[in-house]
Amino acid sequence: MFRYYFQLGIRSLRRNPMLTALMVVTLAVGVAASMATFTVLYTMSGDPIPGKSDRLFVPRLDNAPITGYAEGDEPSDQMTYIDANNLLASGQGVRRTAVYGITTAIESGRPDLPPFLVQGVAPTRDFFEMFEVPFLYGSAWSADDDTARKDVVVLSRETSEKVFGKINPVGKRIRMEDAEWQIVGVIDTWNPLPRYYRLINGNGGSFTGADQLFIPFQTAVRHEMGNSGNNNCNGAGPTEPGWQGWIKSECDWIQFWFEGKSAADQPRLKEFLGAYVTEQKKLGRYPRPVNVRMENVMEWMQHLGVVSADAKLSTWLAFGFLLVCLVNTVGLLLAKFSARAGEVGVRRALGATKSEIFHQYLIEAAVVGLVGGLLGLLLSFGGLWLISLQSDEMATLAKMDWAMLAMTLSLSLAASILAGLLPTWRACQVTPALQLKTQ
Amino acid sequence: MLRMHNLSKVYRTHLIETHALRGFDIHVAKGEFVAVTGPSGSGKTTFLNIAGLLEEFTGGDYLLDGVNVKGMDDNARSKLRNEKLGFIFQGFNLIPDLNLFDNVDVPLRYRGFNAAERKRRIEEALGRVGLSSRIKHYPAELSGGQQQRVAIARALAGEPRLLLADEPTGNLDSQMARGVMELLEEINEQGTTILMVTHDPELAARAQRNVHIIDGQVSDLMKETSASLAFVGAASAANAYAADNT
Repeated sequence: MFRYYFQLGIRSLRRNPMLTALMVVTLAVGVAASMATFTVLYTMSGDPIPGKSDRLFVPRLDNAPITGYAEGDEPSDQMTYIDANNLLASGQGVRRTAVYGITTAIESGRPDLPPFLVQGVAPTRDFFEMFEVPFLYGSAWSADDDTARKDVVVLSRETSEKVFGKINPVGKRIRMEDAEWQIVGVIDTWNPLPRYYRLINGNGGSFTGADQLFIPFQTAVRHEMGNSGNNNCNGAGPTEPGWQGWIKSECDWIQFWFEGKSAADQPRLKEFLGAYVTEQKKLGRYPRPVNVRMENVMEWMQHLGVVSADAKLSTWLAFGFLLVCLVNTVGLLLAKFSARAGEVGVRRALGATKSEIFHQYLIEAAVVGLVGGLLGLLLSFGGLWLISLQSDEMATLAKMDWAMLAMTLSLSLAASILAGLLPTWRACQVTPALQLKTQ
Repeated sequence: MLRMHNLSKVYRTHLIETHALRGFDIHVAKGEFVAVTGPSGSGKTTFLNIAGLLEEFTGGDYLLDGVNVKGMDDNARSKLRNEKLGFIFQGFNLIPDLNLFDNVDVPLRYRGFNAAERKRRIEEALGRVGLSSRIKHYPAELSGGQQQRVAIARALAGEPRLLLADEPTGNLDSQMARGVMELLEEINEQGTTILMVTHDPELAARAQRNVHIIDGQVSDLMKETSASLAFVGAASAANAYAADNT
């Protein structure tokens, strides 16, 4: 009977086309407004690395001075070079990387391409595997390269094509920081959303921008390349001058990541971190009580407030608007179904049960929802286009994927069925004898 | 085919009680063509609605083709209605946005027949009422008489045991009414029991038996029928009716 009811629903759209159009448009506008804003929220709060997000952890330590301490203070989001170095050497986790931002100039040696500035990061080789970075050519540098602090570099596809065109540049050299650097790899286009691996000081914020090159962490330190981003010295700067003074200081400027075997490693790593701080206290560091965090990707993004309060509010408002549209649709469906009380009477007289009438009219409401959903989908694309005009960041976020597309149609169907419940129930209450006499 | 004993129907509001039927007894045998007459408000339509399982009754017993319908739930009543009853209404009650084929198809859908069986029955029913050539037409494209024929085809397609007709010619001119009545007679001759409510004494006279309802009760048939025919001036019909029933 579903097919029969569906066919009746399609035919019913043609009956009273003005009323049908009103219902479809009302539903479509509500669905489009909700889905356009929800798509932005969904992209903002999406899991950027679903297979691993529960076993990639950010350690946070509270190395601030005791002055101004209050219980419940959050540990720092970054850490000192001393701690980064110690944690890299700890062997904890399956993989680990320290990361800091760098800005440097590339001298291509080509007369037609003057030196140009690039932004990138300095991680360890584990970085590429931890964050599943795709390679176009070559690979990450070796562990020996990390240890020996060699001048090796991985370029982004964009940087590689800018300097070398569309050839494989692995093995070639580029000049940076007054040194020759050997290219060991070129990564393919890689834009995880949000840019969870570098939410602090990221090139372009949480959602836009891409790093243009990658060099070994210790090599960057050897070259005394400063951090391209925030440095927090907790009110007390380095006690010694120069680069050596900087890396020995209690200033936080490095982000750190552990990869565990599974989510179960999170408490174990946190315990290790606590023990590490206790050990450091013996060396005269960490004046505050032990206060550490070990957060996985989603917890880390939540801590940094990647999803803005505005985005959440907009989504709530849009769903509120959908509710208003639904109430209107209920009214319109009531008018449509009430006008067909006679038909209900006839069908009941010819043998339809109340349940069959209920199914027929609910499916008819769903057909309205389906058409409303298709129109809503078009309007959603329009809405997202308008949102994308606001900023580059919004342009990155306002993109609908298959899941959102399916959700738009599902939402419209669910909304129409919900809106159809009362009118359908009313239709089932028709007294056939009365209707047949008044026909 | 249809037996009601001591049936009553009371409509209650918080202010008043209206007895539409009281102590109502009737027996319609298989194959009969019975006309139900009576003044407005006498309870004819209530009787027909109860007979058609469209309304529940307050007291008494009702057996339809041997099935006691008392206390049946909505699903059982709907199934029984679909399988055993056919309806013909004064206002035709065709569904305007369905063509003739689909209109006749409606009760067959609820019966659960497969597509081939439905098609066979629809074509046969529309052929029986002489509308095979209009199968794709819509009700609005037909005359009143033709629409009533479609309604008859719809009622017949399910091969009902009892056909309930409520003023089937009430909205037709005399020529069309005659045609519809002849069709009903033909259907009855082929074995279908017919119960027809009518105000028209001439139509009532063509039925095999008349049941007259006054104040919700079946009255003395011969006396009441003669009186009502005489009242409307159909003297010859009244005399014939009296002679037939003496």
